[in-house]
Amino acid sequence: MTDTPTVLPIKIAVRDLNFYYGKFQALRNIHLDIPANRVTAFIGPSGCGKSTLLRVFNRMFELYPDQRAEGQLLLDGEDLLTSKQDVALIRARIGMVFQKPTPFPMSIFDNITFGVKLFENLSRIDLEERVEWALKKAALWDEVKDKLAQSGASLSGGQQQRLCIARGIAIKPELLLLDEPCSALDPISTARIEELIAELKNDYTVIIVTHNMQQAARCSDYTAYMYLGDLMEFGDTEQMFFKPNRRETEDYITGRFG
Amino acid sequence: MSEKHLSSQFDSDLNNISSQLMEMGGLVETQIQRAIQALARFSVALAEEVMHAEDRVDVMEIAIDHALTSVIARRQPAARDLRLLLAISKITTNLERVGDEANKIARMVKSIVEHGEARKMPIGDLRLASDLAAGLIRRALDAFARLDVNAAVTILKEDDMIDCEFKGFTRKLITYMMEDPRTISDSLDLLFLAKAIERIGDHAKNIAEFIIYIVKGTDVRHSSLPQIESALQN
Amino acid sequence: MNATPNTTLFSANRDVQAAFFVRRKWINRIALTLSLAAMIFGVFWLLWILWETLTLGFGGLSLTLFTENTPPPNDIGGLANAIWGSLLMVALATLIGAPIGVLSGIYLAEYDPRGTLAVTVRFINDLLLSAPSIVIGLFVYALIVLRFRQFSGWAGAVALALIVIPVVIRTTENMLSLIPASLREAAYALGAPKWKVITKVTLNAARAGVVTGVLLAVARISGETAPLLFTALNNQFWTTDLSGPTANLPVTIFQFAMSPYENWQQLAWGGVFLITLAVLGLNILARFLSRRA
Repeated sequence: MTDTPTVLPIKIAVRDLNFYYGKFQALRNIHLDIPANRVTAFIGPSGCGKSTLLRVFNRMFELYPDQRAEGQLLLDGEDLLTSKQDVALIRARIGMVFQKPTPFPMSIFDNITFGVKLFENLSRIDLEERVEWALKKAALWDEVKDKLAQSGASLSGGQQQRLCIARGIAIKPELLLLDEPCSALDPISTARIEELIAELKNDYTVIIVTHNMQQAARCSDYTAYMYLGDLMEFGDTEQMFFKPNRRETEDYITGRFG
Repeated sequence: MSEKHLSSQFDSDLNNISSQLMEMGGLVETQIQRAIQALARFSVALAEEVMHAEDRVDVMEIAIDHALTSVIARRQPAARDLRLLLAISKITTNLERVGDEANKIARMVKSIVEHGEARKMPIGDLRLASDLAAGLIRRALDAFARLDVNAAVTILKEDDMIDCEFKGFTRKLITYMMEDPRTISDSLDLLFLAKAIERIGDHAKNIAEFIIYIVKGTDVRHSSLPQIESALQN
Repeated sequence: MNATPNTTLFSANRDVQAAFFVRRKWINRIALTLSLAAMIFGVFWLLWILWETLTLGFGGLSLTLFTENTPPPNDIGGLANAIWGSLLMVALATLIGAPIGVLSGIYLAEYDPRGTLAVTVRFINDLLLSAPSIVIGLFVYALIVLRFRQFSGWAGAVALALIVIPVVIRTTENMLSLIPASLREAAYALGAPKWKVITKVTLNAARAGVVTGVLLAVARISGETAPLLFTALNNQFWTTDLSGPTANLPVTIFQFAMSPYENWQQLAWGGVFLITLAVLGLNILARFLSRRA
């Protein structure tokens, strides 16, 4: 089923993952190897489990008592699901950006230092340096460098989303999870973020969930097609969009679905 | 491409394809020139060299087509990007055919030389036409690199000159054949050769038409020159 | 459109549609008139009350209102001790009630929104919210006044605090649950512990709403009479000692307005004017804050 090139190091490996919302099984026996320093996209129709799978990676589902996951989730070989590590420490290694921009109700500067201060004890100068670094990485520095003290909510939607990306990378994670990061943005902001994603993969392993398969085609290296809780196909994006292995995948990406 | 896309990857993909196309064009151009030289010097070695280059052209055609598929699948190009990619796809086909024609010329040259009667034949006229054709291809590629519509229109006009040359040369060959039936075999070879040169001119014309298509978005194939010029006025 | 039957069919439809449209326009007009009338009815009484308060209260307004204590009948005086007592008790009630209310609201919204404890607390809070204030007054009377055999400002403050708490719980919980889950998740995703997520992110985002809730609670208790009647009672003198009967505006107004003495009635109107002004000010402030949020 999978044809990931074996030459690439694997950042995160999913083994026999099952996920339940109460009694409803949302993911079935997911087996997936996500290569390091590449962009992997999850596509599929609504309710296929792509967002659910993403939320397993940083154990976000644990916020809700009736959700549970079974199986293995190996980040560099360490099983995150059974890890003795504090979940906060795991999340510090994994950044996440959500569908709608979620700037915290504080200044742009504090938005970025919020996560940094949780795990690092930095001097003011180091913090300023980190903020500049993160904002530059997120291609936002030039737009906000003169108004770092302003509220994060004062930015435009696209800028807010880049602020959230900056906040996510400021903690220097190894893995960056993007949950439909452009679905609330206009095409120009979307293009900016896609461009940013292409640059981020040099330093991070990026996983992006998108309901826009053209977006997956544009900015990912590998694509996973999911349907009703099953991983239908996973492979090289170019291959997936040129000649997928499965008929179901082809029907979906050519719009013959349902 | 004057203005840049928001996606620099897209830009570099497009630039890549364009430069691959230019490389393929350069290859084909050299093929024609070698073929002409082979004809001028009655050199079998040069002719064989042309025939060998064929494989590289074919490989390039496939590579460009693959890159095109990839960009179309991943980027969903629109408007002039779409026209550019569609046109490139067709230009590669034309260039590949030009390569085939050069190959054909080389084979004819080899056959004429091996037949041994070559030097009696009127190849001077052919050299003129073939220089013209090779020049047209080079200028078509230049016009593509600069997306120059005016240059493209000039090429359309000059292709007619090659067609005239071809007609004149055909008449001349017929005279030869009537005067001395022993030259029929060589004359036929030369006729095919002239036809190949004429075809190269046609391909240059096609490329010029695609340049107009990319820049102006009007499909000027199968239109007369006055029609094209009036269409470009608007 | 080339066939004749089609055209007639369409035009027939259009006639029916036009008839419907005329009918709908009329129904719309009638409904609009009725709702306008209802609104005017309500606003009319409100404006009348405000007008009376303003005209009568404004007459009683003078500097002595703030400098002199409540006078004996037919003597010159002010409301200074009552204003002071009210301020003291309202401030105290807010200091007791607001933190309890905010913390309970946080528990209900953030810690266990669907647990049995939360459901029970929410139900009881709703009861408390709609309980008549006289019941609360009587309760505090039985609990504190009877036990210590003494009317006191403390008891008054406790009674008012009991009114503040349910209001603040409700507004805090509502405001916090309006915060989108993704904001919370975004903070958790950075590895933040729960208390930090609440204090730095969710509470901060709901701050304007929570403060508005507290302000509205203050506005609510600043005019409450019934709970104070049984607890703080009243006092003619300036006092900073809350362990005895304490003067306050609502009860003073109640007594003075009922009295036959003209100067007392005048003072009562002055007090009404002050309270109305204070409540108005608080509401405007609350509105301003919630709009900014």
